[in-house]
Amino acid sequence: MRPSERGVSRREFVKAAVAIGGSAALSACLDRESPPDLQTGDPAAVPARQHAWNDALARDDHGNVRMARHHVVLLLDYADDGTPDESDRETVDTALRGLERAYQWDNEGLLFTVGYSPAYFARYDAALAGIDVPQPEALAPFEDPAPDEPDAIVHLASDYGSVVLGAEEALLGERAQLNGVDVSGLDTVFDRTDRRTGFIGAGLPAENQAVEGIPDDEPVDEDAPLFMGFKSGFEKNQASEDSVTITEGPFADGTTQHLSKITLHLDQWYEQDSRSQRVAKMFCPAHAEEDRVEGVGDNLGDSSQLGECPAHVEEDARTSGMIGHSQKAARAREDDAPRILRRDFDSTDGGQAGLHFLSIQRSITDFVETRKAMNGTDVSEDASVGTRLNNGILQYMTVERRGNYLLPPRSLRALPRPDP
Amino acid sequence: MNGSDATRRAVLGGIGSVGLGSLAGCSGLFERQSTGEPPVLEDRPNAVYYPTHVEGMEMIGMTDAGDRMIGLMYSYAHRFWTMDVGGVERVSPGDADVHLMASIWDPDSKRVLPVRSGLSMTITKNGTEVDSRTPWTMLSQNMGFHYGDNVVLDGDGTYTVTVETGGLSIQRLGDFEGRFDDAVTAEFEWEYSEAARDEISFRELDNAGERGALDPMEMSMPRSAAPANSDLPGRVLGSGESGDATVVVAVDERDGNPSLVVSPRTPYNRYVLPQLSLSATLSRDGETVFEGPLSSAIDPERGYHYGAEVDVVESGDDLTITVDSSPQVSRHEGYETAFLSMADISLTVE
Repeated sequence: MRPSERGVSRREFVKAAVAIGGSAALSACLDRESPPDLQTGDPAAVPARQHAWNDALARDDHGNVRMARHHVVLLLDYADDGTPDESDRETVDTALRGLERAYQWDNEGLLFTVGYSPAYFARYDAALAGIDVPQPEALAPFEDPAPDEPDAIVHLASDYGSVVLGAEEALLGERAQLNGVDVSGLDTVFDRTDRRTGFIGAGLPAENQAVEGIPDDEPVDEDAPLFMGFKSGFEKNQASEDSVTITEGPFADGTTQHLSKITLHLDQWYEQDSRSQRVAKMFCPAHAEEDRVEGVGDNLGDSSQLGECPAHVEEDARTSGMIGHSQKAARAREDDAPRILRRDFDSTDGGQAGLHFLSIQRSITDFVETRKAMNGTDVSEDASVGTRLNNGILQYMTVERRGNYLLPPRSLRALPRPDP
Repeated sequence: MNGSDATRRAVLGGIGSVGLGSLAGCSGLFERQSTGEPPVLEDRPNAVYYPTHVEGMEMIGMTDAGDRMIGLMYSYAHRFWTMDVGGVERVSPGDADVHLMASIWDPDSKRVLPVRSGLSMTITKNGTEVDSRTPWTMLSQNMGFHYGDNVVLDGDGTYTVTVETGGLSIQRLGDFEGRFDDAVTAEFEWEYSEAARDEISFRELDNAGERGALDPMEMSMPRSAAPANSDLPGRVLGSGESGDATVVVAVDERDGNPSLVVSPRTPYNRYVLPQLSLSATLSRDGETVFEGPLSSAIDPERGYHYGAEVDVVESGDDLTITVDSSPQVSRHEGYETAFLSMADISLTVE
């Protein structure tokens, strides 16, 4: 299916092409996006840590990492029964090196990771060595997510939609050349069972807001990097790559990944909540009272300035009757630093406004603890904030699916054994 | 038209014919026709007051959902007020078709459960999702506590409304202990037509703006009434007024140690006031013997209340109840100016 080219902006068109996928979408996307001649890459220049993206990404004026704009996540099932053999590993390794040769490891080229689920490691008799990757589970009393249990997961990211689409096609064995480089697929080893697509960055949410879950009057600000209208991923609210990296055992230099599929319901957010309520619920009530957030929050600099929110979250919840999302989540700190590194992005998959919350952390426990802090159940017990109402942004989202993965170091990214 | 029973169709029909010859009045009439509501009163007391109009309500259904009953009903879309930091925020009905409401109660004690559960509603028509949201917790004069919001529908037809309520994240006492832990779901088939909606009663009030409240509506579901003083277990120590709410304080020794039971309720209709932050200070001969936050809890006998265990309460003790935050429940018209600025309540134990 070739998306209509009439009356659609370039960005909107590229996003639609990424969501649809396939070779027709790719060629349409290439016509429309007209990326510059992109550099080919060198596998020898790709870091040992698959998740080492920050040095390869651009930064904004405040030093915040600017995430690549287009994303595709592939959920893959091992095509055979039992455990992979050496020839499978070689196929996967060759396919992945092909991507590295085709594009430079940066935001204009291609960044990617490959992860493996508890279901994959359960194929082996041996236990996973040195790291625990649990099955996903519900993390709040009001959610009932379905578990994602593919064997493997591939996250592709680039500023160009045509790059992530091309890389997907190459992995699926549907093209022999990528950016002029000979490549091969991993389709003889893996079947694709699902794909999740999305985007992040100023302009993209506004251009793609004609979906379920967002009012028809196009309320999303042109400058907003995400549907909810505010910046996120401030440098000081993110864990560092070092701190999310596994340091010991055979998977040292790896990390863990959590991916949730979240539906957004922003009718109330944009039609009923005031700007002040939105600021209070996203950041903290004090930010709203002091009018500290301009526009999408660029003025906040390199942090969400939570130091300006009352230090005692419980007390603030009791007296304000409302509590901010960032304010709650920031309580999950270790050595006074955030525990997870967010690499999430918005989505219009299925014609529905959504968020693919992708984060990496040293251990899945870091994610679970951060999410618990975000639930604010402890804060709301003696306070007037609700389970989901006036309690951050819980009211506006439904977690549909969750999945946990191990991202091994690059050297072990092709079908690793649990005890290499 | 004022003061007499009528449906909104009749009201609007009347306005339309009056307005025909009068261009000057057009803008006001259009506003009135699009929302069906008279304008918000300019002078409202900082207290519970009679709203501009009273709307009826139509049941969609009631059903068992595990250990809870869930009722679903609707009325005209109308304005309401959500809680903002330091005040209320008016929400206009916009182009919404209906105000959709859910109520949850315990079938044995008939107690409405105005408690934290993260309730959500999904509306579908012919298998396609029309709306999905977490409705507001709300208080209205004729219905009491409920979950509700204005929603846009997709014309006449058969809808399915799925109401999902999480396990209760609140203290449960007495015979409620260990209950209402699980998430439960109820599904309602709803044959909706605009014509049927417009048959719902709609009446403007002559005494709008005066202090007072509409009578509770006759309905087949229990209402969120707090126990009368005489029905509260234990000993009622006294009561006070704060922000037009009545706050009844009792001490109950049911479980051995005395518990402070603080039960704030609306005037006139005695609805429980949920989502408050309260704390208490108990002093004896000038010395503080208890100081701390009160936890909200539900109990079949005490109803929804705020409480804490204390060592002993003696005659002559001074008790102060401090309102740390006013009730964060959204309000239908007539409640939005009350329960906002709430002074401490002090009493001396007799």
